[in-house]
Amino acid sequence: MNKRLLILSTFVISLLLAVAFHFAPSLTESATLVPPATVVNDNQDIANIEKPCSNEHPEWRAAQVIEGVSIAEAPACEADNPYTIAAAVKGVNNISMATLMQTDLAQDAITLSDDLDHDGDPDIVHIKLEIVELNGSTPDGEYPVNSFAIAPGIQPGLWVFAPKSRGMAVKNFNSVVAAPMLRAPSPSIRVEQGDQVFISVENTHYLPHTLHLHGVDHPWHIDGKDNDGTEEHPIFPGTNGTYSFQARHAGTMIYHCHVQTAQHFMMGLSGLFVVEENQPNNWVQTFNIGAGQVRHSSVAVKNNYAQEYDLVYQSLDKKLSQIIQHYIDPRLIAQQMTREYNMTESFENYFLLNGHAFPYTLRDSIVAVHDNETIKLRIANLQRSSIAIHFHGHKATITAYDGVSQAPAAQITRDVFDIAPAQRLDLDLNTANNGLNSYGSGLWMFHDHVATGTTTDGMEPGGNMAILAYRSLMDDQGMPTMHEELLTELFNKAYYTKKQALWNQGDFAKLLGDAGVIAPNYVHIILFGLSAGLALGVVMTVFIFRNKKKNQ
Amino acid sequence: MKLFPLFFAMMLLFCSAHVVANMPTAGNMSMDEKGMIMNANPDQLPRDCPQISETIALTIRAGRKHALKLNGKMYAFDQQEWRVKPCTKINITFINDDQIRHQLMIHGLPGYLYPEGMFHLELNGEGSLQASLILPALKKTYLVHCELPQHAEKGMKAQLKVDGGDGDLPSIPGLSAAIKTDRYWVDWSHATVAILLLCVVIGATLPWLVIRLKKSKP
Repeated sequence: MNKRLLILSTFVISLLLAVAFHFAPSLTESATLVPPATVVNDNQDIANIEKPCSNEHPEWRAAQVIEGVSIAEAPACEADNPYTIAAAVKGVNNISMATLMQTDLAQDAITLSDDLDHDGDPDIVHIKLEIVELNGSTPDGEYPVNSFAIAPGIQPGLWVFAPKSRGMAVKNFNSVVAAPMLRAPSPSIRVEQGDQVFISVENTHYLPHTLHLHGVDHPWHIDGKDNDGTEEHPIFPGTNGTYSFQARHAGTMIYHCHVQTAQHFMMGLSGLFVVEENQPNNWVQTFNIGAGQVRHSSVAVKNNYAQEYDLVYQSLDKKLSQIIQHYIDPRLIAQQMTREYNMTESFENYFLLNGHAFPYTLRDSIVAVHDNETIKLRIANLQRSSIAIHFHGHKATITAYDGVSQAPAAQITRDVFDIAPAQRLDLDLNTANNGLNSYGSGLWMFHDHVATGTTTDGMEPGGNMAILAYRSLMDDQGMPTMHEELLTELFNKAYYTKKQALWNQGDFAKLLGDAGVIAPNYVHIILFGLSAGLALGVVMTVFIFRNKKKNQ
Repeated sequence: MKLFPLFFAMMLLFCSAHVVANMPTAGNMSMDEKGMIMNANPDQLPRDCPQISETIALTIRAGRKHALKLNGKMYAFDQQEWRVKPCTKINITFINDDQIRHQLMIHGLPGYLYPEGMFHLELNGEGSLQASLILPALKKTYLVHCELPQHAEKGMKAQLKVDGGDGDLPSIPGLSAAIKTDRYWVDWSHATVAILLLCVVIGATLPWLVIRLKKSKP
């Protein structure tokens, strides 16, 4: 090849590369004079839309008496099963077979007996708990089993303590949805001060666990055996272990698993534990499934309050929760969770109040009030970070910290309650419209004021957002009125899976919908393709030509 | 108070001795502290059976120790498959070797004899139960599992084949492939790497060798 040809081809290649560079296509482009049109992204796929309230058991809401147990009215959409409440108050051993059949409880789930102090209530309490995985994996396909949605379309892997149950662990025989008693959070447990309590954990799970009674008066060891539920004395799968105590001090406490505590706590193995003041004829509601409203309060609470609610705050790390959905083999799950996953690099992605994120909190964690009521709230922070609970339109009073009463003169009334992990507060919420305790009737939000707390994996409004609703503003299914449009938008799986634009209302569907895409500029793409291709071709030709010459 | 556990244990013993006779019944179900039996059928013939072909006794054990022979499982039955003739009556003894609840559920049975197509035994803890069922003549494979959360998923799943069955169900431990499987590390050694590299070299030199061979022929 002569020198002139080489210089010429170098020049041609440079020229072609310059053209190619100029017309190089990219994934995004600057808009021209008219930016792309709006694509209205209002996902109205029937499969994604849920009724705000399925209204499955309207008959469960009324005040009623079952097995002699008076059960308070629960106006919320998803009121607790009153038969389960009756069984939780009387013990499964003291109810009829007909009542038991209306529950999912095993026949040995709660046994109450022996009125030792002759004050009209049982003093020996046997409670059996199982450990349940929700939204776990199955070798039978790519779907979560014993599914439990925390929000529309959101099903993170969870572990919970659950009352020992019987029969099917799914809603019906061709469903994978978890039976109603199997849900987050782990149930609130109530016993009376002075009761002799035996809690058996039947480890139905595939990893070791324990139960630690945090704040509940209990002996460290009994007959030389661990009674504190510590890491080094785990209850292995397929076996059971019993913890016992006779609490001398009443108050709002918690319980949790203490094996690989950081992970197991955050997977959901924690719940509220209330030791109720000893009173005559004090039949306490041993289990409050899913926390929330207490429909059969203890004598001391009933004497002083119109209503009582358990508010359990919990958070999940989606990376941790996904482990049980990605792996099936327990060895792989154990390895991933204990050695691959690193809690110090974790995030909180989901924030739950009583096991649900907004808008599901509207279904079962609405605090429904009348004017001029005093309501007892027991708040437990079972999440990884601190919370700052704020009630719109109200200032409440702290009556106890970590189950220890605060002297009335030292009680603080405020509107943001900072609660560190594992701490509890007892609050008096007063609905007297006096400009201090309450600003009057309304559908007042209450939520964690830490910014992340009201999001679901970053989506607002979500997280532990909930409503304090004055009864006149609730409909007959327990849902807040005047918010139909918002509820229709939020009870949509596409919303929380981030597939739908916000504010699809009137003109704003066009003004704030998704911006469309720019059409490919085919002139540029063709010019780029041809020039780049030609440049490559020339390079190869020169190379081959030179090689041939050398060989000759 | 101290007598209570003793009393409870005696109650359990009493119940276990008279389990079937003393269980309170509701519909086709009987239940007590020890467990429950649902849809037992000792005498009703399926429509396609003129008579019981044979009566067999089957002991099925459930528990963690039976999973030791199955890699990557936690709970299992002692066997993963049973084969019976058409119209067999099975007297099942279900034994729970663990201290937790286990179930023995058989699915897909004719609904006119077994409501929701289900035969269901459940033990609240260690112990045993006895119940019978009669299988139809139909050539079919029935799902047998414990339905507690993650028990079937972690190994407590088996199949019952009548007349050879109509194929295997998915993810029966050790018998049939799963639809969703775990991924495990492959045991790469120096030798494995050497074999791989050798093959690459052979592959790369193959065209050259062929050309050389062709050239040297004429």
